[in-house]
Amino acid sequence: MALLQMDDWYDLARDTNWTPSYVTEDELYPAPLADSHGIPVEAWETFDEPYKSTYRDYVKAQRDKDVGAYSVKAALARAEFFKNASPHWKALLALHFSAVCWAEFHSASAFARMTRFSRSPGMRNMATMGTLDEIRHGQIQIYFAYEFLKHDAVFDWCHKSSKTENWIIISLRHALDDIAHTRDSNSAAIMLNMGLELAFTNLQFVALSADAAKCGDHSFATMLQSIQSDEARHAQIGEPIVRIMVENGKKEEAQQLVEIAFWRMWKQFSALSGIGMDYYTPLEHRENSLKDFMEEWVIGQFGRTMEALGLDLPWYWDILKEDISSFHHANQIGVYVYRATEWWRPIACTSPAEREWLEEKYPGWNETYGKCWDVIANNIRNGDFEKTTPVAPPLICNMCGLEVVGKAGEDWHPVDHHVDIDDRRYHFCSEPCKWIFELEPERYKGHASIIDRVFDGTIGPDPDDFYNYMGQSPAERGTDGYEYRWVDGYDQDQEEEKRYATG
Amino acid sequence: MAQFPLAVNVQGDYGYKVIVVEDDNTIEEVIQVAVDQIVGVLVAPFPADVTLRARVHGAKQPLDNNLTVSDAGFIQMEALQIYAEG
Repeated sequence: MALLQMDDWYDLARDTNWTPSYVTEDELYPAPLADSHGIPVEAWETFDEPYKSTYRDYVKAQRDKDVGAYSVKAALARAEFFKNASPHWKALLALHFSAVCWAEFHSASAFARMTRFSRSPGMRNMATMGTLDEIRHGQIQIYFAYEFLKHDAVFDWCHKSSKTENWIIISLRHALDDIAHTRDSNSAAIMLNMGLELAFTNLQFVALSADAAKCGDHSFATMLQSIQSDEARHAQIGEPIVRIMVENGKKEEAQQLVEIAFWRMWKQFSALSGIGMDYYTPLEHRENSLKDFMEEWVIGQFGRTMEALGLDLPWYWDILKEDISSFHHANQIGVYVYRATEWWRPIACTSPAEREWLEEKYPGWNETYGKCWDVIANNIRNGDFEKTTPVAPPLICNMCGLEVVGKAGEDWHPVDHHVDIDDRRYHFCSEPCKWIFELEPERYKGHASIIDRVFDGTIGPDPDDFYNYMGQSPAERGTDGYEYRWVDGYDQDQEEEKRYATG
Repeated sequence: MAQFPLAVNVQGDYGYKVIVVEDDNTIEEVIQVAVDQIVGVLVAPFPADVTLRARVHGAKQPLDNNLTVSDAGFIQMEALQIYAEG
């Protein structure tokens, strides 16, 4: 018997909306979970997913992807890639797996709510597959990371991190809770699928996979490709929702949801992937900078996508264009000097050759952020290791949970934005972080940053109290991944200068 | 006398840090605490003839060095810039 083509039956088969008779519509779709934004169900039913798939095709494709990824992993298991990898790549792997495994796994919950509470049958179908995608992404990544545990206990944090109160995890968890886990299904779909996946992770996984292949990490590269192709499919959920909202007079609401989510995810992307791209990727494999990536794929392509959907570019677009050259450079200094508060082995990535690359990609880097690195490098070269970590903790943004940073060195430009509520000062690293807070102070004001927790007594006064609170035993406190050898190049440079000077 | 947390950004540093002073400390003493914790760690030492001043973030005028923290009317975690005069 000849089978019908999918196009011949798909629209009819997925049209599974019905009129409830045992409960009311409001009981079936309670507003906190299924906010229709005042748009009638008939309009939501026009949701037309750009990437259609059936469950049968989905399962087959996923099986093939798993076979591919696990086969490569098995074939390369004895290659001992990890043992021979540079501290650069090890730091990148540790950071990626410990921040991404659980975040993806938790996303399954957001997609499951879309599956249950969306008014659009097409979206429910897409979200069902998205739920399964995210479970798979959590499982495959934690399984791939598990292999490294026998080489390095740092990878214990791939499983552990989300259950801790480590400051970086608090920052990421706060952002994801805000956009994906505490909103109605339509808002979460716009924020997660457009603000995170379409804007950042879909393309980032392409770039990271290419970097992994260049570094010879074919197992990681294949796994990332298998994830990215899922992301490319389920990230499409956000666009039809935005289109429906714009067509039904709710452009302002959709615009605001995208703006909040995009900025929150930009801050995470900047600190985690920005450091990954511009510092942790081994220099010989580094081509495009974070700025290059952002200008082409995000400011360019995602910006055009927003306009094509009938939205405006976010009001902070000019601020973003500045931020792509500054925020992550400042945060990389903080990540390095406060390395004991991190679970992996942070690396400086500011050897003379790397500084040259940074200066080429970010003209003026040496005179700004480089000035702080000069002081750090000099302390190491003089054996003053204690001076490589400030006694004073950093000020933390009460929205993104990352450091409140500005421009350093010769072009010093301090940045701080604040709001005072009930005799408490809330600090922000940027105008958009403050703007998000001021949209809904009641939503955000109860959250305490890790530094707030030190001063409100949540964390005890002893230094060990701080680490214990963050779940870090002495063995789990980050140390320089190169054991300070990255400064060797400075001495060589000086020797060469001396040689040239003396002829 | 009570402990009082302040956010400070010393000229040249990449971002704000949190220090704890006493509320009867003068601005001059606050500057010294910030310098002790940041200069030589993230910022190169200032030339010997430089005078350091403090101003509230965003303000144009420096604070009087003899003013105490409590007399200045700061809120806890007030943000101060520490910079070389002139």
